[in-house]
Amino acid sequence: MQDKAAEEFFALLARGEFRTTRCRGCGETHYPPRVVCPACLGEDMEWVDLPREGTLVAFTQQRDAMRCRRPEVLGLVELEGIGNVFTRIDAPLEDLRIGTRVAFDTWTSPDGVVLHQFRPRS
Amino acid sequence: METAREVYIAGVAMTDIGWHEEDPHEMGARVCAEAMRDAGLLPSQVEGLISTPHGYMADTRKMVTQRMADYLGMECGLMLDVDSGGNSTSVAVHVARDRIREGRIGSCLVFAAQREAPPNRIKEDILGHFHLIKAANSLYDSYQAAFGVISPLPFYAMAVQRYMHIHSVSPEDIAYVAVLLREHALKHPQAAYREPLTLEEVMESSYVSPPIRRLECSEMHDGAAAVLLVGEELARGSPRAVRIAGMAEAHDPTSFVPYRGEISRFPCVGRAARAALEESGHALGDVDVAEVYGAFAGMEPMMYEELGFFAPGEAPSAVREGRTTHGGEVLINPSGGRLSLGHPAYVTPLLEFTEVVRQLRGEAGERQRPSARVGLVHTEQGFINGSIVAVLERKGA
Repeated sequence: MQDKAAEEFFALLARGEFRTTRCRGCGETHYPPRVVCPACLGEDMEWVDLPREGTLVAFTQQRDAMRCRRPEVLGLVELEGIGNVFTRIDAPLEDLRIGTRVAFDTWTSPDGVVLHQFRPRS
Repeated sequence: METAREVYIAGVAMTDIGWHEEDPHEMGARVCAEAMRDAGLLPSQVEGLISTPHGYMADTRKMVTQRMADYLGMECGLMLDVDSGGNSTSVAVHVARDRIREGRIGSCLVFAAQREAPPNRIKEDILGHFHLIKAANSLYDSYQAAFGVISPLPFYAMAVQRYMHIHSVSPEDIAYVAVLLREHALKHPQAAYREPLTLEEVMESSYVSPPIRRLECSEMHDGAAAVLLVGEELARGSPRAVRIAGMAEAHDPTSFVPYRGEISRFPCVGRAARAALEESGHALGDVDVAEVYGAFAGMEPMMYEELGFFAPGEAPSAVREGRTTHGGEVLINPSGGRLSLGHPAYVTPLLEFTEVVRQLRGEAGERQRPSARVGLVHTEQGFINGSIVAVLERKGA
């Protein structure tokens, strides 16, 4: 998490905020956040809220990885009008289906980093 | 303007694929020498040299090529160290071909020698290898790397899951691809895996990242290969030279898992294939033999479809019906492919070129496709974020 946009994204996440950048010049919203707007090449950004609900596009489980004490469920969640977010999923693999509606939450990793996770909406 | 010159592959060489103890520089020197002997050329006749780093999970040296040029006594007009992931050595072939077409050089040797830190050695001493694990993690952007990803496996797993979901492909259909590739590798004396494999064994192997099972994965391996490209002048006396009839490169604006769009589609593959075929003057139906870069069993049918061999969702049944094996309409991955030939990623494109050249020369032994005339090589980088396709042709075809 060395780049400036990511540092800000994860700092906001640690406060429970799920936000990304929007270009003040052309109004384009980006995910992941950026310091340069690919639409108009402007550099003036503001932070805006991301939707806290989305649709599960795909999911799997990761066994050999950093920051994992046990196999973690990972997935891709589509946020309407934004795109796909690669995220931890807080549910057993067998309970998940493609197309399931999921909601945002934060998760603190064993090494103390606050990341995002989504879980099926009850 | 002068017409572009024709470019040929005049020499190929590869080591056995597996785990090697040999120094990568010396492995590289041996395949370079063998490719030059194969072409009947001496180092003094070779004007370009291109190579790659020695591995992903290894402490690699920089500037591999100048050391090799010194070692072999080559006075070069082109020297390049390429690091474009899995596409590295096909980028190299592409650049070498263009320089020869322009008439700037008359020949160019492309080689790669890969020697990784073996996974079991890493697992035995995680802390001693932690810098390599961190380096593997740093391939991914901050929003992927944060979740601890150290290989593209979870991304591929999700792509295979969606492909199976969209086209109602069964787990057995995917597992069968691994079985067939192993059957092909049984006929290849240099393949990493030469034990028969059954559908039951694949289906009973554990999940590494569901729906991908252990025996549906390619493994990182060591090995080396070299391909020697020449212009018309040097190819004139050689009936075994194979012409590069068309070659094209295409990239999508993505890095590993796409943030937009369908993650089980890879548009760059079709764009590269169509452009290469158009340049070659051949239709896909002319292709007798192809080497396709599929790093997982589930990715193979997806690549066959993106290349245009089959309609979306139809490749798995085509594979089971024998349409991609010996006696089928197109022989795909006769080498055993990435799963069973073995997959030293920097070397892999050169292994694919080597196999297709051997097939078109009629030198593929037991795994020869009778009277193969036109061949295709497909390579990719990242999570198939970019693709290169080459169409090769037997001389006089």
